[in-house]
Amino acid sequence: MAEFIRFDRITKFYGPLCVVENLDLGIAKGEFVSLLGPSGSGKTTLLMMLAGFEQPTSGNILLDGTAINAVPTHKRDMGVVFQSYALFPHMSVGENVAFPLQMRGLGKAEIAERVARALDMVQLSALAERRPSQLSGGQQQRVALSRALVFEPRVVLMDEPLGALDKQLREQMQLDIRDLHRRLGLTIVFVTHDQSEALTMSDRVAVFNKGKIEQIGTPRQVYDEPATRFVAEFIGETNLVEGVVEAVEGAEANVRLTSGAQIVSAVSGTVAPGQTVYLSIRPERVDLTEIRGDARNCLETEVTDSVYQGDHLRVQLQNAAHPLIAKLGRRSREFPPGTKVYAAFSAGDCRVIVP
Amino acid sequence: MPMKLTKFTFASLTILFLVAPLIAILPLAFTSSVILTYPIPSWSLRWFEELFFADAWRRAIVNSLIIGTGTTLLATVLGTAASLGLRNRLIFFRGTIRTLFLLPMVVPAVVLGVGMQVLLAGFGLTNSYAGVIIAHTVVAVPFVVVSVTGALAGIDERVELAAQSLGASPTAVFRRVTLPLAMPGVASGAVLAFATSLDEVVLTLFVAGPNQRTLARQMFSSIRENISPAIAAAAFLFIAATIIIGLVVVLSRSMLAKRR
Amino acid sequence: MSAGLSRTGRSLILLAPLLVFLIGFFVWPLFSMMSQSVSDTAVLRLLPRSAEVLPGWDRKSRPTMPMQTALMEDLKAVDDDQALGDMVRRLNSARSGFRTLMSKTTSALGDPANPPADLVSIDKRWEKPEFWLAIADALSPLTDRNLLAAVDLGRNAAGDIEHLPADQSVNRVILVRTFWIAALVTFACACIGFPYAMIAASLHGWKRDLMLAAVLLPLWTSLLVRTAAWFILLQERGLINDLLQTLGLIDGPLPLIFNRTGVIIAMTHVLLPFMVLPIYSVLITIPKNLMPAAASLGAHPLRAFMRVLLPLSFRGVASGSLLVFISAIGYYITPALIGGPGDQMISSIIAFYATGSANWGMAGALGVVLLVATLLLYSVYARLSAEEPGRR
Repeated sequence: MAEFIRFDRITKFYGPLCVVENLDLGIAKGEFVSLLGPSGSGKTTLLMMLAGFEQPTSGNILLDGTAINAVPTHKRDMGVVFQSYALFPHMSVGENVAFPLQMRGLGKAEIAERVARALDMVQLSALAERRPSQLSGGQQQRVALSRALVFEPRVVLMDEPLGALDKQLREQMQLDIRDLHRRLGLTIVFVTHDQSEALTMSDRVAVFNKGKIEQIGTPRQVYDEPATRFVAEFIGETNLVEGVVEAVEGAEANVRLTSGAQIVSAVSGTVAPGQTVYLSIRPERVDLTEIRGDARNCLETEVTDSVYQGDHLRVQLQNAAHPLIAKLGRRSREFPPGTKVYAAFSAGDCRVIVP
Repeated sequence: MPMKLTKFTFASLTILFLVAPLIAILPLAFTSSVILTYPIPSWSLRWFEELFFADAWRRAIVNSLIIGTGTTLLATVLGTAASLGLRNRLIFFRGTIRTLFLLPMVVPAVVLGVGMQVLLAGFGLTNSYAGVIIAHTVVAVPFVVVSVTGALAGIDERVELAAQSLGASPTAVFRRVTLPLAMPGVASGAVLAFATSLDEVVLTLFVAGPNQRTLARQMFSSIRENISPAIAAAAFLFIAATIIIGLVVVLSRSMLAKRR
Repeated sequence: MSAGLSRTGRSLILLAPLLVFLIGFFVWPLFSMMSQSVSDTAVLRLLPRSAEVLPGWDRKSRPTMPMQTALMEDLKAVDDDQALGDMVRRLNSARSGFRTLMSKTTSALGDPANPPADLVSIDKRWEKPEFWLAIADALSPLTDRNLLAAVDLGRNAAGDIEHLPADQSVNRVILVRTFWIAALVTFACACIGFPYAMIAASLHGWKRDLMLAAVLLPLWTSLLVRTAAWFILLQERGLINDLLQTLGLIDGPLPLIFNRTGVIIAMTHVLLPFMVLPIYSVLITIPKNLMPAAASLGAHPLRAFMRVLLPLSFRGVASGSLLVFISAIGYYITPALIGGPGDQMISSIIAFYATGSANWGMAGALGVVLLVATLLLYSVYARLSAEEPGRR
């Protein structure tokens, strides 16, 4: 896919504080990219620079091959959706949505028609005369969305747009936005600190930490093949076990844990024998058996606690040297504390991470 | 419950102390007598007639309107512009400038009056409308600054960013978003500026000539020299105006609050 | 980067008009008032030649011929009677006898038929160094005379600072009176305002609204109207005296107006809102369950009040008191209309010096005293309210 947006060696300082450091990122036309990271990781700053609210200290932002650093916000043609909705409190819903069209000098009839269509798209046609303060949070967010889309911007930027909504509404809106993205072929850059939101909606996820991108890839890649310890821990829950590489064969490595156990694990980067590494094992990929099965990796453990959590059973285990957590499907049998079990997982469900 | 009774009595007496003087003066505006005492012999509108048709009072009212309008315009324009400028956090000495803007509220009027008289005399502005309007604006402008700064502080900055991203130039953002949102603050600032000018006596004593005698100034000398029920009639108008102004301020505040 | 710069430029352009306006019509007047208080050009303005010669004199010996000639030249050149009067008054205040000496001298100098050879030939007193000393000292353009006099101090012949004689010591009495009245009013406001604010904060709904409205209505009402109302109520045949007499509580009318009682009552009424509102705004931020919590921990209600509520509301009482006190020391209208001659505060004296006797030096000096006191108290207030949690 042709590259549409390019961040070219972007650095941003606030006084002495470096919030974005020498960052490169390309986004294709029609792509949905999430910038995921904890607060203060630089993801929102990057979005604000793309929108033109902030200027990079150094580096270029290119849109369709042209540098846009010097282009003021109002000429960038990007629709921005804020977490706080940022609706104009003194205008009705209809006037809010009409605003960007008026700014572009469109005729009255065309504005009316396009506003009606945009409100229809988010099922708010009936509320066009209301003031924003008379709407619920979810409705306000849909107004903000339709206002950001009505002028057919080249890019849509969303800054934690669903952060203020309750869980159920948030999940509904996630699907709605994803649906709009597909239907309209929008290019969306979406900032969030909620990993499940990022995984649900995005074509690609860029994981931010301390002003840098730790990993960028499809949701499956960042979840199943975390490149760094930070990514493994930030996205989902994981077991991190320390060990030393003994041998490397193709895409697999033999790792000896401090307990002495041998593990075979998939490797995505380069590791050398003798190196100290972490193994990341997702709890839901761990099976528990009372007899040693034929899985490639099998650790002897004892159950210390077991908690029923509705959709899964969460079992805490103690190996000779490491605690482990396993999430078992609801059809699994119960394991009372004290039971000796084997924790089994395949080489592909385990990932070597270089610290 | 003796405690409750004590509280009730105390609160009632204090409310009486606060409000009764203002209420007691109202009926006297309608007395037919020339002295300001109860009981009122019979009702009459003669003191309102005096207020509106006696030369001294009528001129004082006209002067108050001229000076009040001038002060309101000047203070509102200067104060609103300055409040907008104060929003920028990059301004050096922002806190000091803000304090300077509020200080005329603190400095005793007599002190300011002495200085103002010396200065305006130097410009040849004593005994002129311009001089009185300038003096009143100095003491009225802090109210505008407080009111408008408050309204501006209530504007979510992201609303303005959103307007920019939707294609509004800086001028359009100001005209379509910032100004309408700050308007209730500007309006209540203007009302307060007018009220300040209307009630200002001390500076007027120092800088105004006989031709700029305002209503407040006229009331002052009338109380001092020959008190008559015309004072009560003027007070009646003031209190009525206060209630109207109070309602305007309350309404604009609640409008402002509703938008959040 | 350029966007940020132009934004700052825009802000400066917006700020500039009010800044210039207030520097011109607020800071400068205060400054010129201060300079009035230390400026002393009544003599220097008329005697430029003497000002050149006199610094060379040893301040002890008999006046030299050039000194006499210079002064004669200066006096002959004077054509402004008012300025001459100002100068004579200034010199006479430093050394009595100048008035007669000067009038004799000027009339002799004004006689073209008989030009005098020197000043001593006009009047023997010109031989004495004391009179020349007074002129020499009065020639300095700056003086601390007014500032010292504002607090009843003066310099004696040797130039040391000492108390003015009792018959000239009026200012300190007035300063003490000003602070005393302000303190009484502050105390009265605190005594009424604190319990009032506490009751208001403990109520809900319309009762609380009523109590607040009762404070806001006077606050928003014209100061003159409130003063006029008290004038009418307090007069000899006013409502209060009438009421008390009708009830048979008193035989003759109480003296309530043109005295201290009236001033305190009216000023307390005027300033009470400034006490109630800060205290109220602090009290409503105190969680409602604190007193029950203290009680559940075993504190007696009075003790709970002393240990919990009072310390927490101290800030409100302190800012309210400062606000009332600051306003009270600068009050002019209420004492001027309700008070008697013995109740005039510093503002009235300033107004008297400025408009009554055109003594700008003294008006300025007392103004400086009041201004400094006000600004000092205000800086304490500003610090107090800046520290206040939950405030901008």
